[in-house]
Amino acid sequence: MTVSDPAARPDRGRPGLEDQLARVARGDAAAFDAVYDQVAGPVFGIVRRVVRDLAQSEEVTQEVLLEVWRSASRFTPAQGTAMAWIMTMAHRRAVDRVRSVQRAAERERRAATADIPFDEVAEAVESNLEYERVRRCLGTLTEVQRESVTLAYYGGYTYNEVAALLGVAAGTVKTRMRDALIRLRDCLGVIG
Amino acid sequence: MRLVRKEPHTLAGAYAMDALDAADRARFERHLARCDSCAQEVSELRETTARLAVASAVAPPPAMKQLVMAAVRGTRQHAPVTAAKPRFTTRRLVLVAAPVAAMLIAIATVFGLANSDTSQRLSQAQQRDQAIASVLTAKDATMMSGPVVGGGTARIVMSHEKQALVFIATGLPALPASAGYELWLVGPAGDRPAGMLPAPSHGMIGPVIAAGLRDGDHLMLSVEPAAGTTYPTTRMMLDIPL
Repeated sequence: MTVSDPAARPDRGRPGLEDQLARVARGDAAAFDAVYDQVAGPVFGIVRRVVRDLAQSEEVTQEVLLEVWRSASRFTPAQGTAMAWIMTMAHRRAVDRVRSVQRAAERERRAATADIPFDEVAEAVESNLEYERVRRCLGTLTEVQRESVTLAYYGGYTYNEVAALLGVAAGTVKTRMRDALIRLRDCLGVIG
Repeated sequence: MRLVRKEPHTLAGAYAMDALDAADRARFERHLARCDSCAQEVSELRETTARLAVASAVAPPPAMKQLVMAAVRGTRQHAPVTAAKPRFTTRRLVLVAAPVAAMLIAIATVFGLANSDTSQRLSQAQQRDQAIASVLTAKDATMMSGPVVGGGTARIVMSHEKQALVFIATGLPALPASAGYELWLVGPAGDRPAGMLPAPSHGMIGPVIAAGLRDGDHLMLSVEPAAGTTYPTTRMMLDIPL
């Protein structure tokens, strides 16, 4: 896969993740070992981005990876890629953790420091190619769209909270979020 | 919420980013179940957000792999939900299940009074009866029933709005005193014990209330030591997708 191949989708196309998951569903620990190697980085990355606290991020990451093992039989390829299934689980768990443990004061503090740009994740990024693509596509969004996506997805905020942080009406944020993801979808060449 | 009813589609982006609170999330998911084009859009947007996740990949501490692989060796996997699934009937409570709801309320009342020999227990029973009544009378109350592997029938009334379900069972095989039936909520939020069933009375177990219902949960049942366990240790005898 090269940078000059715009159709390349390393996360989506990683051959075999779906097949490996099918083997995991049958109790194949060696297959799970291979799945771990492919997904542990993305899971840990998104969980850490949302949860921030290192110890809690490690805990949630382990929970998610164990859930992949347990629930592998419930993955249905017709509903999307294995990577999307796992990332959805990881993000949902990270967000649930943040919302359940966070005290009001802690939320305040996070809100004050929430505008960390996407570039912050540049250090220690494993998939530089994917990072470059996503960064370029985020660059095509309007400022409100980009901030809405960054605060919601990487910050773990609800759209109402994003609206409050940006000083924009909730209805506006809601539509900007959808517009932004549709634009990102097209820019990244996601095929449903 | 009103926003969902008015323009459900516009919430697809927020939903794909987990940017809805629990109540909006549950409402949107109910809408999703009826809207194929929404489901298709959410699927595409999930693929998109997955790319955002992959772009922020960071190598976890190397020791984590050993921990996870060790945990995997000691962790039982879920059975697939599609294979050998018993048939369940699902009906809108308001349409056809009113007699059952009335029966459940009657049972709940009798059960509560029968146990009300002290004021504390009375108040506990009243609280429980109120919780049960709130599920049975919820606008989105739905009744389901299904056979229990090994014998018997389980009936539930569930409300996603109340995040709870009321469970009764008939005809379950008797167990030795050292064992009991334990309910489980199993889903994306993890496997959670949902309570030990009481001993049968006149051939009927329950009603018991299981709270903390989350999206995508399945209700399951297994035989466990009488004190209960935090992880299921025997085969599941029931699987009702909620």
